[in-house]
Amino acid sequence: MLLDVRDLRAGYGQLDVLHGVSVYVDLGELVAVLGPNGAGKSTLLRAVSQLGPAVRGGSIVFDGHDLLRTSTEQGVRYGCLHVAEGRQLFSELTVDDNLRLGAYATDHKTIERDLSSVYERFPEIARRRSAVAFSLSGGEQQMLAIGRALMAKPKLLMLDEPSTGLAPQVVAKIFSIIGDLCRAGTAVLLVEQNAYLALQHADRAYVLENGATALSGCAAELSADERIKAIYLGGATGE
Amino acid sequence: MIARLHADARAIPILLALVGVCGIVASSNATFVQAATYAGIYAIAAIGLSLLLGSVNQISLGQAAFFGIGAYAVAYLTTSANWSYWPALVVGVVLAAFFGVVIGFIALRFHGHYLAMATLAFNLICVGIFHQWKLIGGAVGINNIPFAQLGPIRIAGTPAFWFAWIAAAIVALLSLRLLRGRMGYAFEAIRNDELAAEVTGVPTRRCKIVAFTYAGALAGLSGAMYVAVIGLMAPDIPGVGLTVDLLLMVVLGGMGSVSGAIIGACFIGFLSITGHSFDNWREVAYGVVVIAVVVAAPGGLFGLIRGRARTRATDGAPAPRIESAMAPLVLHSNELPLVVSGVTKRFGGLIAVDAVSFALEYGTLTSLIGPNGAGKTTLFNAMSGIGRVNTGTIRIAGTPVTGWAPHRIARLGVGRTFQNARLFDEMTVLENVVASVLALTRVNERAANDRARETLARLGLEHLSTTYAMHLPFGERRRVELARAIAADPWLLLVDEPAAGLNARERTTLQQDLLAIRGRGVTILLIEHDMKLVMSISDRVMVLQFGKMIADGTAGVIRNDPLVAAAYLGIAS
Amino acid sequence: MLQLIVAGLTVGSGYALVALGLHIILRATRIINFAQGEFLIVGGLFALTFVEVLHVNVWIALLGSTACGFILGLVFERLILRPASRCSEIALTIVTIGALYILLYGHALVPLWGSSPHPLPAFSGEGADSFAFGGASIPYQSLWVFLLLALALAVMYAFFERTYFGKAIRAAANNPIGARLTGIDVTQTRAISVAISIALCAFGGTIIGPITLVGGAGGTAIAIKGFVGAIVGGFESPVGCVVGGLLVGIVEKLLEGKFEYGLADPLVYSLLLVTLLVRPQGLFASRVGVRD
Repeated sequence: MLLDVRDLRAGYGQLDVLHGVSVYVDLGELVAVLGPNGAGKSTLLRAVSQLGPAVRGGSIVFDGHDLLRTSTEQGVRYGCLHVAEGRQLFSELTVDDNLRLGAYATDHKTIERDLSSVYERFPEIARRRSAVAFSLSGGEQQMLAIGRALMAKPKLLMLDEPSTGLAPQVVAKIFSIIGDLCRAGTAVLLVEQNAYLALQHADRAYVLENGATALSGCAAELSADERIKAIYLGGATGE
Repeated sequence: MIARLHADARAIPILLALVGVCGIVASSNATFVQAATYAGIYAIAAIGLSLLLGSVNQISLGQAAFFGIGAYAVAYLTTSANWSYWPALVVGVVLAAFFGVVIGFIALRFHGHYLAMATLAFNLICVGIFHQWKLIGGAVGINNIPFAQLGPIRIAGTPAFWFAWIAAAIVALLSLRLLRGRMGYAFEAIRNDELAAEVTGVPTRRCKIVAFTYAGALAGLSGAMYVAVIGLMAPDIPGVGLTVDLLLMVVLGGMGSVSGAIIGACFIGFLSITGHSFDNWREVAYGVVVIAVVVAAPGGLFGLIRGRARTRATDGAPAPRIESAMAPLVLHSNELPLVVSGVTKRFGGLIAVDAVSFALEYGTLTSLIGPNGAGKTTLFNAMSGIGRVNTGTIRIAGTPVTGWAPHRIARLGVGRTFQNARLFDEMTVLENVVASVLALTRVNERAANDRARETLARLGLEHLSTTYAMHLPFGERRRVELARAIAADPWLLLVDEPAAGLNARERTTLQQDLLAIRGRGVTILLIEHDMKLVMSISDRVMVLQFGKMIADGTAGVIRNDPLVAAAYLGIAS
Repeated sequence: MLQLIVAGLTVGSGYALVALGLHIILRATRIINFAQGEFLIVGGLFALTFVEVLHVNVWIALLGSTACGFILGLVFERLILRPASRCSEIALTIVTIGALYILLYGHALVPLWGSSPHPLPAFSGEGADSFAFGGASIPYQSLWVFLLLALALAVMYAFFERTYFGKAIRAAANNPIGARLTGIDVTQTRAISVAISIALCAFGGTIIGPITLVGGAGGTAIAIKGFVGAIVGGFESPVGCVVGGLLVGIVEKLLEGKFEYGLADPLVYSLLLVTLLVRPQGLFASRVGVRD
């Protein structure tokens, strides 16, 4: 297992958001983490990349490394990349600079080649390579964020709600790229609110509710499961 | 009175008594008497600054300017215009207070560093004017200022000591009085969380101006007393050096406390008479100590002495348990509680709320739901006066509230809670609720306390009355915020994601709380993600997506609406 | 008139470097460093030490003082700014004032330095050497100041706009979270930013040293004029800070020429208030304020 999260309990200040969640991702898999707002999906990713929540119990192991003892920057060196909520681009720098900085943690030997391949994958941002990141559209920004993460040659790419605020065609494009990446060998851990879309592309999925795993299993089976609807919309069938 | 001030209130008489004893015992030691006199005079200005910094969280690097204004007023009037000292003193203080108001208004426009720079510039400009203005002596200043006379007593030497310290005592007690009542609660609320204070009904702008005026007046008084004792005034005296000295006194003693200011003033005052040969070393040490205090012991010397006072309970007899007779609210209005028409809010190119319109009926519980980023909180903020809308109107009981400050809307009878439970952390649970009652009603502190206790009792929170908000477990924070929001009997309640982070048992309690509030006739608008909760208590559900209202109806209708399902889950393949 | 402008640009160069340094520290740490002017003074004193104790020529002293400034900046960040960074805005302001006190009074305690200003040897010829131009007598040192200022600005530009690490520093200042997620060590970039800022001050203190003398208590006035420059030009814009600093120098000298002594300064400070009230973002910046 590339990423092995066991019994994770984490939260902010006095608040506990995750109450013992276990999730794993194998090499080359696309795993989706779904669930309504407040379920703890983003907190899970942030705990893995050591970005914020206080971890009060459980373990996170990535490629043999204990991530609980690792800084965010070091995690990047191990190959665990997180494209966070809000994309976190360097808004004042150009597209090209953003991408080049993505390789900060690597040894820079293949930087030019990696840059070209990112531009090939995302021709939309290749066209805008000297534009300031701030001026990009939502979809372009998302592509840039993913591209920047790819420059670090990740083993695992964690994406936090990549579809937020984007038009359907752009979302489709991004998801197909995510699919390609997976087939090319990068594992992806995808947090999404748009459940059905994520299930279309994922191998496996987890559904979180109130900080605990409510459902899990193969994506194809879950998409037919009525219980998802109940979890998202409340109502008699859920419990 | 606020618990945090109890220690202060106890310490002041002790400190003053101590000084008094020293004054009697050492009255033959001229050096001591002189240093102590100056300490007392500076203490007055320090108290003002301490209040400003600690109570309202505003920094002013211009206190010396007010000192100078008061001092020069007295100096000029008693020399060139031959006034008697006491009327000149009054003029000095009033003039300084006036400039305090001016700076207060300017201060509203800036925060933090910019405010520091603006007030510093003011200080420097004043010094420049003092240097140049021939009327008040220019670079030479004014000499031969006559001693003040109180009847047969000439205020110099030992009488000056008593003059300074009696004034300081009066100022200290007056300041404490100020901090005790309604104003004190308001200041404390602003210091803890300015936004929450506004929403709880505190007029933050007005309070800040009052704080600046008071601090300015006290600095002016200090200056006016100073010239009488020292007999001369020069333009370099009210310079940045004095401002920094005052800052040092306050930081050392402890920001926000009156006793701290007195301690700080004494400390610095006495240090200044010892070790003249250590001049520069002393200043370097000041710098080091200031940094150390700010970083390691923000409460200053007073905070260190006070120690664990923070977690101790307040004194005062336990109030009798009031069984609430839940009288339903009666509203004398033909208008609907809330009418939103065509409201649009943009952030740059992003449209957060897109032409939303709806109206609420009295006594109903309506939920506002929708996926992340749908614009729900933005809409809420607009309704409570946080941020302006680009188009459209919001009417609360018929009154258009566009552009109103949050505290004005709160005073209309609107309560609001926040997604992250913004409590006044350094106040107790009871004080949190009292602050709201005092800000929104005209009752006195005693009645406010009663009302607060009653509200807490209604929600079953009375056992937490004396707990400091920062020590509360998360679930209780939410409920205390709810109590604070309903204590002044609002008839419209806006609740933002109250269930986030609660466990099952807490959600059930929340459900009961909300239903009980509705039972009193309060109109409730709720943002929530917990669908079970929403479906079980709502009379009506409105759904927002990408800023637009996409569905509006009863819970049953909404649950089965395919548009809503698509909004949340995506399109089923 | 030309004389005054040249004098203004000369002293303004010092202000410009202080202002630019303020900008860099602000970007990196969100702190406004009230002690900035003192570092200019201390820089000049470093150079003096190199010249009088180590007996090297003034050019080597310039390099030495800049290097010492860099190291001092690292120490300043580590010992004072970093522990204070979790404090409130008011607390941070007070902390830098504390640092100001330490430097202002502390530097006078160093045996060689003392509390009165000293002359620093000119960079070429004698201190008062000047040439005539357009009816004014222009000191050679002023030319050196302009040249060296341009050099410093060019180096800064090249570093921050053209080098990988310089861009990484800007990225970390722009978005610390994004930087961490990209593997950039934000603590390190902050420290280096502060060090660069202080080094700039030391450099500035040395190049204007021969004209304005080094040492003494002028640091506070310089700091404030540096602020005024930064505010007038626009705190958020590096170009604005430099231009603002130069502008303040010119205004100061022109006012000194026209009005009697002592009035120039308050008028300069009034510039600050006026700018804050009328156009708080300054001339060159488009975003208002330092609030996040």
